[in-house]
Amino acid sequence: MEIFSDLVMGLSYAVTPINLAYLLIGAMVGMIVGVIPGFGPSAGLAILLPLTFGMDPIGAIMMLAAIYYGSMYGGTITSILLNTPGESATVASTFDGYPLAKKGRAGPALVMQAVASFVGGTVGVILITILAPMFSQVSRSFGPPEYFLLAMMGMLTLLVMIGSNWKLGVISALIGFALGTVGVDLETGQSRYTFGSAELIGGIYFIPIAIGLFGLGELFYAFYSQIHKSASGSLVEYGREQRFWPTAQDFLSTRWTMVRGSILGFVVGVIPGAGATIASLMAYSTERSLSKTPENFGQGEMAGLVAPETANNAASSGAMIPLLTLGIPGSASTAVLLAAFLLWGLRPGPLFMEQNPELAWGMIASMYLGNIILLAINIFAIPLFVQIIKVPYRILGPCVVVICLLGTFTVHASFVETWLMFAAGVVGFFMRLYGFSPAALVLALVLGPLAEEALRQTLTISRGSFGIFLDRPASLWIIGVTIALVVLLPLMGRIGAGAGRAEKAGG
Amino acid sequence: MRIVFLVALLGGAIFYTYIAFSDLNFMTRTGRLGPGFFPRLVGAAMVVMTFWAILDALRDRRMVAAGGAPGPDDAPEGVWRDFLLLLGLAFGYAILVRLFGGFVSTVVYLIAALSLLNPGRHLQNALVAVIFPTGVYVLFDRVLNANMPPALFDILPF
Repeated sequence: MEIFSDLVMGLSYAVTPINLAYLLIGAMVGMIVGVIPGFGPSAGLAILLPLTFGMDPIGAIMMLAAIYYGSMYGGTITSILLNTPGESATVASTFDGYPLAKKGRAGPALVMQAVASFVGGTVGVILITILAPMFSQVSRSFGPPEYFLLAMMGMLTLLVMIGSNWKLGVISALIGFALGTVGVDLETGQSRYTFGSAELIGGIYFIPIAIGLFGLGELFYAFYSQIHKSASGSLVEYGREQRFWPTAQDFLSTRWTMVRGSILGFVVGVIPGAGATIASLMAYSTERSLSKTPENFGQGEMAGLVAPETANNAASSGAMIPLLTLGIPGSASTAVLLAAFLLWGLRPGPLFMEQNPELAWGMIASMYLGNIILLAINIFAIPLFVQIIKVPYRILGPCVVVICLLGTFTVHASFVETWLMFAAGVVGFFMRLYGFSPAALVLALVLGPLAEEALRQTLTISRGSFGIFLDRPASLWIIGVTIALVVLLPLMGRIGAGAGRAEKAGG
Repeated sequence: MRIVFLVALLGGAIFYTYIAFSDLNFMTRTGRLGPGFFPRLVGAAMVVMTFWAILDALRDRRMVAAGGAPGPDDAPEGVWRDFLLLLGLAFGYAILVRLFGGFVSTVVYLIAALSLLNPGRHLQNALVAVIFPTGVYVLFDRVLNANMPPALFDILPF
């Protein structure tokens, strides 16, 4: 009952005209970010974060969260109509989404993906509502050793998922840790790596780096790989008069697919480092192996579209659990969200929901509303997003440069930060080109200062002994879970990659 | 190019580690861990890992030279000219912003960028180059009350 009253309280904060307007804007922007190939939620969040500084924190966090989960909805539109995923989490949606559109069922596919995304997102939020307070309770006994281990778990799981390029992933993370050490050491007051610059005393700010890596860096890479010259010629046209709505059979045949995809997606989403991409590929693979007609997968099977869609949306909700209750982001997108919280002076963690109930529950409540808004937008505003798909990248690209540069400047009115963003953009391009992981760098930049502080506190408590990590039951549990994840995650990744390979070979 | 990038990273890592060992103390006078503790760990690990990655890259290059398949880390094919064009445009824009402020520089930059990237469509380019900066100006300066970059040479009456 307490959860219910907390949720009602959250709704009372979320449901104001201005907050609902922010939520609507966030959902629309998220959809647009998802529709643009090469830009994922991390880029959208990083670029638009500076625009939220003038807002009330609840409205701003509602808007950023809506951009985050809204991009999952938007990414599928291009998967279905263009056979090009808007972002990595919607790759699996191309396997059956595009064949459905080619068969003249673009309308039903678009509506079913919206419904599946809504179901996945809503089941995810229901599970957050129930589980987040429980996670908070458990993590209240955590001290510096556990926080250090959790930060390392977040990094390790992400690096394990990088696969064969793990060495480059480790280097990326170390660059992030190194950047995190710039500025005044809070324990001793000594300057580190500031080289006499007053601008660096406060450290290297997260926003220019994130905008540079995910915004400018991705854009440079898109131009390098000629995305701006690819036409939207393979766009499948659809008309509302031609059987736009799905049949009852579409809903009936995929009802259990939605349940399975939602639960699987949520569980995978909670695991730091796994994320929506793995969740969607695993859900697709699972659904095909459970199907009585697996040979239809890849030929335009509705369950093959519904499974990854429910899973990636449930996973984006699941990723909120470690963020809100432990203060540990599991992906680059949630790292940007964590940075947003920190910029407003809020520190997510075990006490976050108790100390900031209006914010935490306001955001959770807004996610219910956001999913309803996104369902409506997805069904009734698809023509608008189809028009956005048609805007050539060669026009979009220069405009994105403007938003990146001006967005960075607005944060602290600093030209030094705009040059820092520019440098991060160039480095981000080369990192992307040579197989490094910008996500690991950003995650390490956010987690680095937290991890350093926790490690130094831990070793002070233990008088320099690392044995403290084995003496505390909570630490032992985290070590055990980390080892299990390091073993299991590559297997999960292989299942997902196997699904992708099978579809490529088949289709 | 990958090796050049890795060598540049190694140079940065060595410099970072040198500072960590030479300027930052491992322990404080009170016997607690000092400001150099974490940077030394990070720096040393970065040097080792980057060196390892360079050895891998050299081995891959030898394999390719001997007729083997390219390694999984090899950069995908792309067009450097288009990347360098956008890089140059973005760099020029960053300088223009410092000189002429947010609005004028954005108009000039978009006219230049679109005439190079979207040639022949003069009306479309002109409309985008005027409407987009106006929208951005209204959003940043008027609606959000955010800082637009000021001009060193202010040529606008508003």
